[in-house]
Amino acid sequence: MNGNLSKLTSFHVTGIKPALEAEDAGERSFRPALFAGYGDLTKLRYDYPVVLVESAAGSKFAQSLSDVVDGILREIAPQGAAGERLRKHVLKLEEELRGLVSQKDGASLLDLWDAAEKSLLTRTEKAARDLLRDSLERARNALHVDGEVLDCDEATPTRFITRGWNVVQAAKIHAVKKRIEHLVLKLSDILRADYMKTEEARSAEIFRASVGTAYDEAFDFSAMSGILAKERAGDLLPDSRRQRVQAALTVLQAQRFHAPLHDFEQTVVRQPLYDFVFDSCAAALEAFRGRLPEMVEVIKAMSIAELEIQNLYRESRHEPFFERFDEGALGPDDLALFPSYLICLRDERIDPAEAGRIFELLNSDLPAKILVQTDDLLRNLSLSAGQTSSVGGLELGTMALGLNKAFVLQATNASLYKQREQIVNGLRRDGPALFSVFSGAMPRVAGVTPYLLAGAAEESRAFPVFAYDPAAGPDWALRFRIDDNPQAEADWPVHRMMYEDRDLQGTSEKAAFTFVDFALCDGRHGADRVPVARGDWHDDMIPVVEHLDLAEGHAPDKIPYVLMVDENDRLQRVVVDDKLIRAARRCGAMWHSLQELGGINNSHARQLLDREREVWEQEKGEELAKLAKRAEPAGDASPAVAPPPPAAPVETTIEVEAAAEAPSDEPYVETPRCTTCNECTELNSKLFAYDENMQAYIADPDAGPYRQLVEAAESCQVSIIHPGKPRNPNEPNLDELLERAAPFN
Amino acid sequence: MGIPVSECLLKLMAEGYTLDDYRGDIPPRWCTGCGDNGILAAVQRLCRDEQLPPERTVFVSGIGCSSRFPHYMNAYGFHGLHGRALPVAEGVKLRRPDLHVFVSTGDGDCCSIGAAHWIHAIRYNMDMTVLMHDNQIYGLTKKQASPTSPRGVKSNTTPRGTYLDPLNPLSVTLGVANVSFVAQAADWIPELLYDIISEAYHHKGFSFVRILQRCPEFMPHQFDPWVQNPDKMLLLTHEKGVQLSAGLSKVYRKQEAHDPGDLHRAREIASLSEQIPVGILYRDSDVPCYEDVRMVDRLHTPDVIKGVLEEEFDKFTIWPSE
Repeated sequence: MNGNLSKLTSFHVTGIKPALEAEDAGERSFRPALFAGYGDLTKLRYDYPVVLVESAAGSKFAQSLSDVVDGILREIAPQGAAGERLRKHVLKLEEELRGLVSQKDGASLLDLWDAAEKSLLTRTEKAARDLLRDSLERARNALHVDGEVLDCDEATPTRFITRGWNVVQAAKIHAVKKRIEHLVLKLSDILRADYMKTEEARSAEIFRASVGTAYDEAFDFSAMSGILAKERAGDLLPDSRRQRVQAALTVLQAQRFHAPLHDFEQTVVRQPLYDFVFDSCAAALEAFRGRLPEMVEVIKAMSIAELEIQNLYRESRHEPFFERFDEGALGPDDLALFPSYLICLRDERIDPAEAGRIFELLNSDLPAKILVQTDDLLRNLSLSAGQTSSVGGLELGTMALGLNKAFVLQATNASLYKQREQIVNGLRRDGPALFSVFSGAMPRVAGVTPYLLAGAAEESRAFPVFAYDPAAGPDWALRFRIDDNPQAEADWPVHRMMYEDRDLQGTSEKAAFTFVDFALCDGRHGADRVPVARGDWHDDMIPVVEHLDLAEGHAPDKIPYVLMVDENDRLQRVVVDDKLIRAARRCGAMWHSLQELGGINNSHARQLLDREREVWEQEKGEELAKLAKRAEPAGDASPAVAPPPPAAPVETTIEVEAAAEAPSDEPYVETPRCTTCNECTELNSKLFAYDENMQAYIADPDAGPYRQLVEAAESCQVSIIHPGKPRNPNEPNLDELLERAAPFN
Repeated sequence: MGIPVSECLLKLMAEGYTLDDYRGDIPPRWCTGCGDNGILAAVQRLCRDEQLPPERTVFVSGIGCSSRFPHYMNAYGFHGLHGRALPVAEGVKLRRPDLHVFVSTGDGDCCSIGAAHWIHAIRYNMDMTVLMHDNQIYGLTKKQASPTSPRGVKSNTTPRGTYLDPLNPLSVTLGVANVSFVAQAADWIPELLYDIISEAYHHKGFSFVRILQRCPEFMPHQFDPWVQNPDKMLLLTHEKGVQLSAGLSKVYRKQEAHDPGDLHRAREIASLSEQIPVGILYRDSDVPCYEDVRMVDRLHTPDVIKGVLEEEFDKFTIWPSE
């Protein structure tokens, strides 16, 4: 073992940095080798920038700039060479736009578009300018969306989720607002109809006011009032009902949860509307609790209004119910009628009390939508023994799964756009939801954009993407999804890396992206790595991913390394200490348990499979053994004959078809066939009557003579009356009647 | 989204309507033996089984024996002008889509004077149940030939018998754009009459049910061959249509499994001459309803109404010249 190798081994085990002979002096900056291909993101077409589209519904609230531009090109540029010029020009504009987004934070798409168009035109040669202007004008005419343009940075998660929340909220509450306004209108109608019956409403002054001044002379309003006052107006509403309707109307008009859709003749002064966006759970909970009595009043007023409008309010029945109606009676359906509470948190500011409140909310039925943004994913990594840290976004996400009640989405800035449907899904649900998002804006990472770092956190399993939706179905298979992670089936995602070797020949190798690669992006971990000069490369150095595959402590002589590139994009092996390896193992273990929950390599399923396989193999083995035995030449000459199958039990019960209804001596009517034509009931309404379906039956066979039964049978147009045999043998002309009855029996 | 508390209260406090709650104050004045009685009984049964609140149910009719129907129902009613039941019903539905609208019309009312409204009502496809009582004669005015009277029927207007073949209401309806529900029932098979009316009620759209209805007074024995010989009837059954009870299956042995989605077969069935088909000929639940297409998403608040009126008045206002 050469000197440097032993120093590296000692570094790996102890973490004490060695002074290597061949190493350059000074701290050098390294990036994971797989990042080498991604420098300036503004040159690439990817999910960002995102346009937060105004007046969009559902998951369309966010559209990536590339999607918007593609949509425009599909509309205006014909396929093939004919559309080539348009495509080229518009894509150039898109590139210009990307460059501008980072400079003009929060600008709208149209403003950016104009600015990009202007700068592009000024930079273009005069000869080509007209064609470019024409292309851009056509594209601009096909641009149908506008809204704030977001780049991927620290502020993105809050802005993205808040917009989603606004869109979902508006759609969800629209129906409720309409309902409330409908109720207000109908209640006002009840009161106005009542008012019109009062003497006041029939006074000459009211009539005069309603006709206006032009015809003042032409009418005698007093006479009109006198005539109308004589008319009986009908009863006025009882006082209790009028007061009840008035009270419900007041509550609905004064409520501060929903903004009105229309201008109403407000008879009540409304206080400013409530706010539903908070930056702490404590404030949100306090607001919710403070508003509860008012929510109860609104629900009560809506229920009373519904009943009053349908004229179904019964004081004796409903009064006791509404008297007892309080906060305890509010169910999830009632809560769904109010806006949800959006709480935006940063994980470094979550103290234990706030963490407790987060769980309190997630474990409730309250409509709390909590966004926890994590910026510094690796802060726990630099803790020394004995130090503990508070719960961060990463822990909250997995812990919330255990509550089994809340919607949970864990994602990073890089996948926020891809997860927009899940976001809308979680915001739409009635109950609580947690959105745990890693922004990628790590404080001590220079030279790597937040988007790339967020993507790296997903790739390295440091911040896996998953969604848990308890409303999606009864089991984990339906509720839980991890398949949006890169190569979700694998322990670590593996990519093919292309590079030039020393002889300038293109070559490639497979490289896994592990937690160690991600951690090394962070400048704080400079002490945990040592670049190794090529001369010191040794067979005992193995890639980290192989090292992680070895059982812990099984290869003390192997030194793990990762591939990184320096400032000049030169490939390096960087040896890491055991502290990072341990952290990577923890991360891997966490990923495995998520995989299991997501149905990948589930240990229970594997055990069951093993057991079943064992049983199957055993059974098969026995069967084979039996067959082998039978195949051996038998002692006697007669060939083995399989025993005859046991005789099937003879079916002794014979399906007896229900005997045709025997002609009865009793008179009867085939009631279901009766056409309610009144023939028989008019003949004798005591003998024949209608049942609850208005179809005839024989109510009392003794209520009339046999003659009437026969006449009814004869007059029945659908021939469903059967007179049977006479009950009174002394009735006259029986022989003739029996003869007439014969066809109907 | 409902209003959970009051919905639950409504359920708890439901009054529970009986068939008697749907009977009007006047007993039906149709002739004894008239098929209309059976139609009335079936509709009253339906109202009870569906627990339709009488104050949210409307029966609209034109003129004729059939059109006396609203008088015998305890619900809102509109006994309108001859042939104009459908436009009235459309107006009701357009303004009050929350009401259950039924229309009773006859072969004269619908297929003669009201034919234009009928055609367009099919095309408008508004959600209502239309019962066309077809007794093939004008009964209320004591026997005049109607468009559906069979050729040769002698009546007060056709003393030498009618000269033309009758109009076939089923094939006419099936030929109009946007048709969404067509069925035929016979008053002498009350079980199926009820089932068909029930299916028509549950269909969202213009449900047209032609009901063959016996008139013992002016067309006696007209339907006797079919009443007395069940084998001349063709019962249409399907899992998407109506199913027959065991008892009915035994009596009516001629059956055809007809998919109500099959418009071409429906047209063939409608044109059968010897056999009378009974069942659902055609149903398409995807045809949009006019009241939904034209629904305005705004509340008619007093301010809105005032604003619209002012706007209209302003069009005719003559402003004094300055």
